[in-house]
Order: sequence, then C-alpha cells, then structure tokens
Amino acid sequence: HPWETVTTAAMRKYPNPMNPSVVGVDVLQRHVDAGGKLHSHRLLSTEWGIPAIVKSLIGTCRTRTYVQEHSVVDPVEKTMELKSSNISFTNLVSVDERLVYKPHPQQPGKTVLTQEAIISVKGVSLSSYLEGLMANTISSNAKKGREALEWVINRLNTELEELAASARGSLRNPMAAAAFVEK
Amino acid sequence: MNSVGEACTELKREYDQCFNRWFAEKFLKGESAGDPCGQLFKRYQLCVQKAIKEKDIPIEGLEFMDPSKGKAENSS
Repeated sequence: HPWETVTTAAMRKYPNPMNPSVVGVDVLQRHVDAGGKLHSHRLLSTEWGIPAIVKSLIGTCRTRTYVQEHSVVDPVEKTMELKSSNISFTNLVSVDERLVYKPHPQQPGKTVLTQEAIISVKGVSLSSYLEGLMANTISSNAKKGREALEWVINRLNTELEELAASARGSLRNPMAAAAFVEK
Repeated sequence: MNSVGEACTELKREYDQCFNRWFAEKFLKGESAGDPCGQLFKRYQLCVQKAIKEKDIPIEGLEFMDPSKGKAENSS
C-alpha cells in the first residue's frame, strides 16, 4: 500500500481485532513543528498488555496498563516514526518499541516498515531460552501489526465505497444515507 | 475506540473525526497550515487531563497545555 494509506491507517490503528487488549487511545499533545512535521503524544490504555513471559515472572494477571507513544509524521520526506514505551510497571520491565514507515525505495505504491523492540526486565538475568521466547513474541507481534493495518486499510476503503454508493442512492433513500453517516 | 476517561469518549470521537479528515485531506497533501480542530481539541484535552489526574496515571515530562504551541525541532 502507498505510504499515505499506511500512515493514515496507522493513525487510526485502534480498535482492531488483532490488538484486542488496547481499550483506549487518547491524544495528550499534538502540534506541527517549525519543520512541518506533525508530533503526537498519545496514551494507550491496555487491559492486560503484559507479555506472557513477563507475567510468569511478576505474577500479575488482568490489569490496566498504560503505554505512551510519540509519533512524528513528515509529509515532505514521507516518513512516519512511532516510539512507544510502557509507563506502567516501569520498575519491573521496560518495553520500548520503534516503528518507521517509509515508501519502498524501489517499488512505488509500497511501504517499508522497520520495527524494533527492546525489552528489559529489571534485576533478572535472562537465559537464552527466555530471550528466544521474546524474539518469537516480538516477530509474531510484528506480523500481527501488519495484519492490523491491513484490516484498518480494508475498513477505510469499505467506508469510502459505502459512502460513495449511499451518496449515489441518497436521492432515492435519504434515511438510509443519513443512518450510515451517523454510524 | 474509548478514551481513558469514560466521560471524554464523545469529545474524543468528535475531535478524532475532525483530525482524521484534516490529516488525510490536508496534512499529507502538504497543506498543514490552519488548525480546524483546535477548539474540539481544547475541550477534549481538558477532559482527558482531569481523567488522568483522577486515575493517577504516571505521565511525566509531557506538556498538556496549549496545543497550538509549536516546538522548534532541528531537522537535518
């Protein structure tokens, strides 16, 4: 998908069925800087949010955790960078994630995502087994993230098609068109 | 999608609708001048700040006030 589509979808990523744990998204601050880049600071509320591996270490079950996310969108250079880190349980674990979306350098109409995550568990030395487990979780989460954006993009396209169809039919059926717009 | 403060969800929805339209139709096309969503954002913000204080969410180092204040960034 083109970069503009992916960036628009990333801004509207939640809710989606691949991330059921995200229950709330709020914009804390947003501004366009002197260079024309859009900065957003957002707060994500998650219902559990702690990877299973950490749950087994700290023994916590269902709980509301919070993640703060800072994103920068440069519409001229066509880059979108998202950095997020947990703000709950920081005394126990740090999960820092960085995602960068850029247009594909060789294939126009496609977007490249670079994603990295650094997870540190305080005061625990990780055996290679645990590290392997985390690497699997991170890469399956990355795949889930792509699926999530595909889902959002599909939904946005459907919305546009339905809006166009209902606009054409609205002369005959104004009630249905109004009902759809309110949805 | 809900807000962290249950009471803020409707304000959030109004703001989000405005922002999503501006983002896709103006900002990404290079027309970032103007802020049609400023009022909506202010109202939504006040609600969110209250909710965050009430729930004691540990947000540090973020400036909430005045969404129109721009920070100069070095772009190389």
